[in-house]
Amino acid sequence: MTFEMGPETRQVEAMWDVSTYNYRMDGTGIRLLTEGMKEKKLRGIRCGECGMVYMPGPSYCRKCFVDIDEVVEVKDTGTVMSYCVTMADVRGNPIEEFRISAMIQFDGADTWFVGTVTGVEWQDFKVGMRVKAVWVDEPAGSLSDIDRFEVITD
Amino acid sequence: MRKVAIVGQKQINAADVGKSRERMLFELCRDFYKEMGITRHDIDTFVLCSNDFYSGHTISNVFEDCPVGAYMKDETKVEADGVMAATYAFIRILSGLYDTAVVVASSQGGSVMRPYLQMDYSLNPTYDRQVDLLNEVNAAALQARAYMDEFGVSEEVLDKIAARNLRNAARNPYAFNGKTDVTPADVANSDVLYEPIKAMHCYPFTDGACVLLLAAEDRAKELTDAPVWIKGVGDLLETYYPERDVSRSKSVKSSAERAYKMAGISDPASELDLVEVSAKFSYQEPIICEALGLFPEGSAGDVADRGLADMDSAMPVSPSGGALGAYAFCAGGLVRIAECYRQLTGGAGDTQVADAHTALAHGQDGLFLQHNAVMVVSTEEG
Repeated sequence: MTFEMGPETRQVEAMWDVSTYNYRMDGTGIRLLTEGMKEKKLRGIRCGECGMVYMPGPSYCRKCFVDIDEVVEVKDTGTVMSYCVTMADVRGNPIEEFRISAMIQFDGADTWFVGTVTGVEWQDFKVGMRVKAVWVDEPAGSLSDIDRFEVITD
Repeated sequence: MRKVAIVGQKQINAADVGKSRERMLFELCRDFYKEMGITRHDIDTFVLCSNDFYSGHTISNVFEDCPVGAYMKDETKVEADGVMAATYAFIRILSGLYDTAVVVASSQGGSVMRPYLQMDYSLNPTYDRQVDLLNEVNAAALQARAYMDEFGVSEEVLDKIAARNLRNAARNPYAFNGKTDVTPADVANSDVLYEPIKAMHCYPFTDGACVLLLAAEDRAKELTDAPVWIKGVGDLLETYYPERDVSRSKSVKSSAERAYKMAGISDPASELDLVEVSAKFSYQEPIICEALGLFPEGSAGDVADRGLADMDSAMPVSPSGGALGAYAFCAGGLVRIAECYRQLTGGAGDTQVADAHTALAHGQDGLFLQHNAVMVVSTEEG
């Protein structure tokens, strides 16, 4: 028989079903934070060696490589360290309303936190602005107890 | 060429370690560095070994760097087996750019993710995965049958190999799947998974991690009085089945030949005092050992009947119990090196082989013993 050999590229549809994962995480720092959030309080963990305040806290200091367990209160106000205006989802589909996503350093913590800021036109938003958490009416002890952030106006 | 030694090891293996991967690694490394009298700042490079699929996110090492002390440090990853990672760490020190290296291999196949699934996703996605006929256990069954048929080896031999490993594992505090006084008949009576593979022929699903500290000559002698020198390495990959005879392993044979040449070994059966091999299923042990040149090809029946691989024989094979005692993906091969280190430093406790000076560790990855690496280690500086 004759058969024409040569390069031939085909596209084959395949599944990448990675099944169910049972992720394990350190629970202490997130429990400390969410239990406080029920009372609209924020709590982090301070490293006894370098003084870094993590929120939510890991159970060890990533820099000093020692266990840490000193609980500290953190305010629900903070400073905008960076921000962006979200205009599309990860697949490139435009979203209906522009959304300001900001990195916020809470007063009393050294780590940054990502949240949505409302009540301000994105053109007026700036790094360095002061913001305050807006809590849900009935906190349940979860990270979504902070609904969003608003700019503090003097 | 620089001389490089292993100067310490620490490991943990369990069906379920009961803690997060980060915490498992942090506690292991924190305690290890303390025992070695070093801090994380004494380590020039970190070589991690883990798998994205197991970890459930890409770049699996990204959440391992901080727990092993690699925050803002020179770090890299090998995604296969710990022997390959240790080989890479060895090469990094040989380069002259680093004097100390830590190798950390880990996974949580016991509690987080069924290990066989990972192997399914390493199959060719456009053919084998579509046809859906192969998985890790039936691949083992197919290879076992090919070996048994080629050399006239019976199922009872596989049972004897498993029983020996499980009994050895019972004497090893780092293994959790050991079974004191288990007999080949007990193994024969365990559940049949894919004939001829039975449940007790198989590695146990394992949460585990292993850490080794490697150092160049001068640093090694500062860190310990009993360095174990890396004398030779070999690391080769073949296809998983289409173009090969699966009843043998060419890649084990060739990687061993390379390592022996580098180590100056001409007669491995007499020059090696023990070997630690990653036989994830009992049938793999004779294929690996025969390719290593320790026993004649197809001699599994004779070796089992005469106890030629026993702990007190002239050629002890996996006195730790090998992969049947514990086998965390990635960590499995590194544990084999760690066990050789324990043996050569006289610290192997109830599994200690007498007068052990030179040993070989074997690691593997893939189906049908596709990817193999070996490392020859010795107390002789040479």
